Amino acid sequence: MTGERPLTLVLLEMTLLVLLGPLVTGTIQKLKALLQCRQGAGLLQPYHDIIKLLRKGTVQADTTSGFFRSIPVLVLAATVAAGALVPVVRSGPPAFPLGDALMLLGLLALARFLTAVGAFDAGGAFGGMGASREMTIAPLVEPVLMMVVFSTAVAAGTTELGALAAHRGASWILAWRAADFLGFAAMLVLLPAETGRIPVDNPDTHLELTMLHEGMLLEHSGPGLGCMMLASHTRQIVAFGLVSALFFPVGLADGAGVTGLLLGAGAFVAKILVLATWLALVESSYAKLRFFRVPQYLGIGFVCALMALALRIL
Amino acid sequence: MNPETVQTIIDDLGALLLFTMILIIAARQISHAIHAVAAQSLLIAIAGAVLATATGNEDLWVIAGVTLAIKAIVLPWVLHWVVRRLNVRREIEPVIAISATLALAVGVVVMSFHLSASLGPVRQAITGNALPVGIALTLLGVLVMATRKTALTQMVGLFASENGIFFTAMAVTQGMPLIIEIGVILDVILAALVMTIMVLRVRSTVDADIADLDRLRG
Amino acid sequence: MAQMLLWVLPLVPTVTALLMLTTRDRRILSVIDVGSSAVLFALTLVLAREVATGGPQALGVLRVDDLGLVFLLLLVILTLAVSIYTVGWLRQAVEVGNMKAESLRSYFVLMHAFVATMVVTVLADNLGVLWIAMEGTTITSAVLIGYHGHQHGLEAAWKYIIVTTIGISFGLFGTVLVYAAATDVMGGAGAMSWSAIMKVAPMLDPGIVRIGFIFVMVGYGTKAGLAPMHLWLPDAHSQAPTPVSALLSGILIKCALLAIIRFQTIASAACGPAFPAEVLLVFGLTSVVVATPFILVQQDIKRLLGYHSIEHVGIVALGLGFGGSVGTYGALLHVVNHGITKALAFFAAGTAIARYGSRDIHVIRGLLAVAPIGATLLMLAALSLAGMAPFSIFVSELMVLRAGIGHGHWVAIAIFLVMVVVIFAGLLHHVGAMVFGEPTAAAGREVEAWSPLLGMLLLAAIMVLLGLTIPASFDGLLERATEVVVG
Repeated sequence: MTGERPLTLVLLEMTLLVLLGPLVTGTIQKLKALLQCRQGAGLLQPYHDIIKLLRKGTVQADTTSGFFRSIPVLVLAATVAAGALVPVVRSGPPAFPLGDALMLLGLLALARFLTAVGAFDAGGAFGGMGASREMTIAPLVEPVLMMVVFSTAVAAGTTELGALAAHRGASWILAWRAADFLGFAAMLVLLPAETGRIPVDNPDTHLELTMLHEGMLLEHSGPGLGCMMLASHTRQIVAFGLVSALFFPVGLADGAGVTGLLLGAGAFVAKILVLATWLALVESSYAKLRFFRVPQYLGIGFVCALMALALRIL
Repeated sequence: MNPETVQTIIDDLGALLLFTMILIIAARQISHAIHAVAAQSLLIAIAGAVLATATGNEDLWVIAGVTLAIKAIVLPWVLHWVVRRLNVRREIEPVIAISATLALAVGVVVMSFHLSASLGPVRQAITGNALPVGIALTLLGVLVMATRKTALTQMVGLFASENGIFFTAMAVTQGMPLIIEIGVILDVILAALVMTIMVLRVRSTVDADIADLDRLRG
Repeated sequence: MAQMLLWVLPLVPTVTALLMLTTRDRRILSVIDVGSSAVLFALTLVLAREVATGGPQALGVLRVDDLGLVFLLLLVILTLAVSIYTVGWLRQAVEVGNMKAESLRSYFVLMHAFVATMVVTVLADNLGVLWIAMEGTTITSAVLIGYHGHQHGLEAAWKYIIVTTIGISFGLFGTVLVYAAATDVMGGAGAMSWSAIMKVAPMLDPGIVRIGFIFVMVGYGTKAGLAPMHLWLPDAHSQAPTPVSALLSGILIKCALLAIIRFQTIASAACGPAFPAEVLLVFGLTSVVVATPFILVQQDIKRLLGYHSIEHVGIVALGLGFGGSVGTYGALLHVVNHGITKALAFFAAGTAIARYGSRDIHVIRGLLAVAPIGATLLMLAALSLAGMAPFSIFVSELMVLRAGIGHGHWVAIAIFLVMVVVIFAGLLHHVGAMVFGEPTAAAGREVEAWSPLLGMLLLAAIMVLLGLTIPASFDGLLERATEVVVG
């Protein structure tokens, strides 16, 4: 067992996640562009977007309530708080009571819920449609994510991600048990849903009738929209962090040494890159599913997760 | 390799086999199902190679090689060829909803594990989880055959079923007699050949899918 | 000598099949066909004598004991009768264009390949070889069922190959499980041989054998036509060419029963006789019950006979399930009786179908007026099938019944009796209408051909003989076969 993570480290990790989030999105966009033989925007484009939005003024629909204005801040806060629960460079439980993987999923669900509430509040047709669809998909995704977490947590005896990662230690893929394969397969199926990407959602357009997440952002503008975008970048990297903590805790430093921490950070970047490449590949090679096919697609993840859990328990 | 490592690897391969089986069940297009069953056969071949190294049983190398050549390459290729040749509907039409089949599949898997957990020390005669995974694959293959209406998907289900049996048979600690395994593979090839000919024959005479014919009743 | 015979027996039909590739002439093919079947028959008699004096003979993966011999005798008798019947049947079929004169040899080649695989099935001692041969019978007979090449035939063949292939992959799984249980006790060498497993059977792990037996029961039960896995059977029996139907119903489904009996003996020793008996009773009763309504409403005579086979396979399963010497003896006798009688019924139905050009029961009317001998034989076969005394099936059904009463299976007995009575009435009603009355316009008036009659008379003679008395040598064989099963 490794030592506990102090408060400063947790804060540092959280900041790192928030700062790196847009870069991950930029990387995926660039990879997609390259796969499609396009030049594509620069890696830093998401940063430019957010900075530009933060400088702009806000325009709101007349129908919105006062609550609408606070939505982006709350969503961002919930997402960033979720980020605090992910071990980035070091394993081990935090030194103070913080929360576990269930808390993380809960916070992400809260952010999702607030986004949907905001979309309804504005009263736009697209926003409402996007929100209702998002809320149709969410109950399919969240329990499955929870089952995946449980399937690994049963082995470790804890749901705290840092401790979970520490329990696995530097175990590499050969030490995976059968259930891990199925859990990971479920995770790969769910990742596009959780990050709002093809084949479940399409992040590139605001115009399709089938869109989910982007539809809900239509009524936001200026700094509010900037916050929402930052929140979705963060959500993506948090999901990546969850996968790597659950399945690839390799490279996480055991001690507090600077080299260890740097190594951990390097390993984290590498893992994120791999997952980003995976998503870019999936997005480039598949078409978006019709909405009514999505539950069936997620059903694959559900079955895998359930079997992983069953394998662990039986 | 020590026995624990072998058992872990077999368990892992078993999980991957179950995953490919789920992909077959959930496949919306015939070509996806064929790819999945090819991947499954590849995993079976890998399992054979692992067990061959572990037990020093040279017969298993032969079986792994034959499985790789026949079931992972030739038969899927033939199926693809038939798909192209016949211009069959590429979408799979299930008799009952795919999500219902998936739910059934979970039940089958859990039941198989439960069944095998109820066995006594004789479980050691079969490495790792090969017994429950084998039972599950066999039953799920039959499930696919029963719930799909096109001839090619039924054949895919048949191959998946056979894969399950092979997985268990390979993992019997003492190994199966080579001649028996070769005979079984030969039979599978012949059956596939006869089925393919029938499919082509019906397609050429009445332009219908052979599994779709339902004139004989009562 | 006897051991060499074990290898020669499957080689005879194989070599015949190869020999037939050299000619296309129908007459020569028929001569080779009958000759080969006669040789097979003679060799089997020699083998039977050897076994009666010298006990079971084994060589490699093949082995013959008294149990296998019962089935082997039935197989060769039916093969001979089919060959004789085919001569005249084929001439007629070629004339009306049901069979193409230029592709006859492929039919004969497949037929002998089919017989060869069945011989191996019956003689197999190695359970793996048993499975391989059984799948071999599926492949060869599937092609034969779809031989006419029309849509219905191919549909039946597809259903048959898919259902039975799934079925016996279950059988393979069961075999693997029993093998795993055996290796646990005796190590890898010889753990697939039935005779070797039987020596250690009481020490096998009952749990895994139980799962294995259920898999085998479902697997080979599919091939045997036990309900509810019987879906292929009526289609295949009605669409196949008549000689093939006779072989399917007469012996193929019995081969599957032999496989079930082999595993039943293992399971009885490993987990007590009660468990396999219960499974057999459930499947047997289901088959008898499921077949009944279909027999009553049937329009197609060959489908009628097919459903009737399901009932009789159910009766055999019941006999095995009731168990004891009486039940097993009755079941084995019933296998032989039903095989011979059902083949006779298919032959008689086949000639009637050829005469009227239809399989519809309502079209075939007044057969007695146009074909007196054939009609008499059809009536005799139907009476026997329905279980009328003094025909052979009456004797074996009575023994099965006695075994059931002896073991106090009252509910099973009650259901069984009701169904048998209903089927008795239904079958005689159908056949009576076909035989008596005014011939319809469709009736052909040509003279009855000699060779189908000869084949039928051969079977009818055996049928009547077995009803009146069971010859001492055959009785001894059945007694010893019963001992193999009951121990």
